[in-house]
Amino acid sequence: QDPTAAHYMFQDDPFLMPRNAANSRLFSLSKESGRNAAKYIIKQFPQYFDKTFAEPNIPCLMPETLTPQIEGVNEEALKERIHLRRVKDSVDLFDQLVQAGTPVSLETTNSLLDLLCFYGDGESTPEKEEQKEDLEEPGVQASEQKAPKRQFQRGSQSSGSRWRENNNAARIFKIMPERNAHSYCTMIRGMVKHRAFAKAYDMYIDLLNERHKADVHTFNALITAVPYLKERFIERWELAKVFLNHMAQQEVQPNLLTFNAVLKTLRRCGGVGRSMSPLVIKEMEALDIEPSLATYDHLLFIFYRGADLCPSGIISEVLDDIQKRSFTPQDPDDGMDFNMSDNLHCLSLGEKCCDLRDIKLAYQLNKAMEKGDNWKFIDMDRLNAYWSKFFSLLCMMEQIDVVLKWYKEMSPSLFYPTPKNILDLLQALDAANHLEVIPSVWEDMKQLGFNRRQDLLEELLSLMSREQHPDEIQLAFAKCAEDIKAVHEQTGREQTPLEWTASALSHVALLFSRAGRTQDAWYVNMMERFQQINRIPTDQVMDEFLNCAKQTNCPDEAIKLVKLAASLGLPSSQRLKSRTEEEFVLSEKQK
Amino acid sequence: MAAPTAARALRPLWGARCPLPLSPHQAVPRIRPIPEGPRHLHTTPACLKTRAARVRVGKGDKPVTYEQAHAPHYIAHRKGWLSLHTGNLAEEPGAAERAVEDAFLRRFFYGTFPGVLADEVVLKRRANLLVVCLVLARGLPPAKLYFLVGYAETLLSHFYKCPVRLELQTVPGKVVYKYL
Repeated sequence: QDPTAAHYMFQDDPFLMPRNAANSRLFSLSKESGRNAAKYIIKQFPQYFDKTFAEPNIPCLMPETLTPQIEGVNEEALKERIHLRRVKDSVDLFDQLVQAGTPVSLETTNSLLDLLCFYGDGESTPEKEEQKEDLEEPGVQASEQKAPKRQFQRGSQSSGSRWRENNNAARIFKIMPERNAHSYCTMIRGMVKHRAFAKAYDMYIDLLNERHKADVHTFNALITAVPYLKERFIERWELAKVFLNHMAQQEVQPNLLTFNAVLKTLRRCGGVGRSMSPLVIKEMEALDIEPSLATYDHLLFIFYRGADLCPSGIISEVLDDIQKRSFTPQDPDDGMDFNMSDNLHCLSLGEKCCDLRDIKLAYQLNKAMEKGDNWKFIDMDRLNAYWSKFFSLLCMMEQIDVVLKWYKEMSPSLFYPTPKNILDLLQALDAANHLEVIPSVWEDMKQLGFNRRQDLLEELLSLMSREQHPDEIQLAFAKCAEDIKAVHEQTGREQTPLEWTASALSHVALLFSRAGRTQDAWYVNMMERFQQINRIPTDQVMDEFLNCAKQTNCPDEAIKLVKLAASLGLPSSQRLKSRTEEEFVLSEKQK
Repeated sequence: MAAPTAARALRPLWGARCPLPLSPHQAVPRIRPIPEGPRHLHTTPACLKTRAARVRVGKGDKPVTYEQAHAPHYIAHRKGWLSLHTGNLAEEPGAAERAVEDAFLRRFFYGTFPGVLADEVVLKRRANLLVVCLVLARGLPPAKLYFLVGYAETLLSHFYKCPVRLELQTVPGKVVYKYL
């Protein structure tokens, strides 16, 4: 893999390559919106795109036909509209049929109920059209289109459409002459999806009274509804157990989603969750159901929620398990909840408690990511967050050359460093005494667009000016300082100049004087400090400046400095004056 | 007096050979000429020049790209082809369709990227895939260029029922080969 290239969805051109995370997101989103614009045009004018001259015909490149073909008020038309997911039309047609007196079969009514419960009462918009009715199918299929995947996943997560009283589904349910188990189940699932939990529970009681049997999906929905039905942890767990017992009584076989729903409920059960979840996992193994990523996610959440918990060995077991298998998406929560990042989050929590093992865990996690299809579970944004946390961990735990190697490999291609990453990197360089790399880090900072961040600039300047360095490095540092000065003074050009702070100013002056650039240092001294912002230069700066003046043999500068010190009323002005007199050969006038 | 001047004015009309003295209708242009003049073959000096795809030499201020500067007889010697497909090989079908598609695609790209196309569009067909190589000037910000790229790719894929891929290259300005 080429470490200097951006993601393959971007064009390979220096003008078109994104340099930081914001640009990368902007470009990918704009490309996606271009695609959406083209799709809109194809939808508006299907007559220009429907000639089939390709052999064989490629259905995905043809415009979609979404208008119902069958006219008239009959059951066939109703079935077609249900198939095309046109909610309002189907409800109207159903009402017409009922008023006209034609009997609508139970199956058709059930499928109409399915449609209504799936979409709540709203119309199926183009966003929601992409959702499949089967909740088990993942949304990860559109893995090239990362941006809309994120959008419609969030949309479905927060589908805050509430279940209104007496909406169409409830109305149709009431007027149905006969109902079977399927009708009840659909209603329960719809109610749970649209957050009418108490009603779902009542409907379940009705179902039991009618002596119907619920199916697996209904039970899954009911178990997910448990945290909203009861308040206390014990009661929640008891209710979940009640549902599980009913399942066993009605001889409904639990599947992976059942266990995931139980774990999700346990997430909100606090201490009870921690004690019960290993038992749930044992049950899963006994039934030969392989846990999916969502299972692990729930587990980790249950155990690592508090920051002061000492991690048990569970995380290494989990990682071992993950490494052995490559995952296929099985649960809508697999992609959504970003299991991997939660893992890493726990890693950074864990690093507070115990040290050495965690970098190994991080490497293990990395390897697990690269295996098979696992990287598809994360979209671009979170991938950046993942790599950024990984890099922070590296900076804290590893030797500097390893850090630098990873940085070079990862930096423009895999992720874009965040400001925190750059700070960590600088601290790591400091710890390893590798400060000559700082000018190249400054170049990267400029490219990433961080050259106006006060905290980073402060850190950079203080690191550069702390000690005396050999000459070439000093020159390089002085060049960086000049860049920073330019940033502070930039006028016009839609960016307001940054305010100087005292420390920044003193560091810059120091750097200039050490590099022997007296004019620049004096300029900094005179113009900035004295006039505009009334900052006081420190003694160290004064001394350095004097040294510099001595080196370049300019007694005039020294005298100017002494005058400045005197006018500012500094306590060290006397000392400076005496030093000047000693060290310089002054003419009488100058004295 | 009018007659000799009129005669002189009219002489270039007849070229070097003015076979007969001018009739009054030709001599006095005010009168509408009745089409009755001498019936000869109109021959002008032969203009035996090809003019295809050549930029004529001017004052020296017209910037011309490499593509435009070379005439068609330099294809395969100094120039490559702008459109690569197998339709023109022996017994391969579809040459005419490819030509029509090419014409449409060039106009499409000329309109979709207004003012930023720096050179001719190069079209490469590999099996089903159509690769379009564009050289653009940096007139639009990259986000807008990506929007246009996504739009063009999807629209053309749906239009031609084949995968279309755009490969861009940006240059600071039009690359001038010489000034004619």
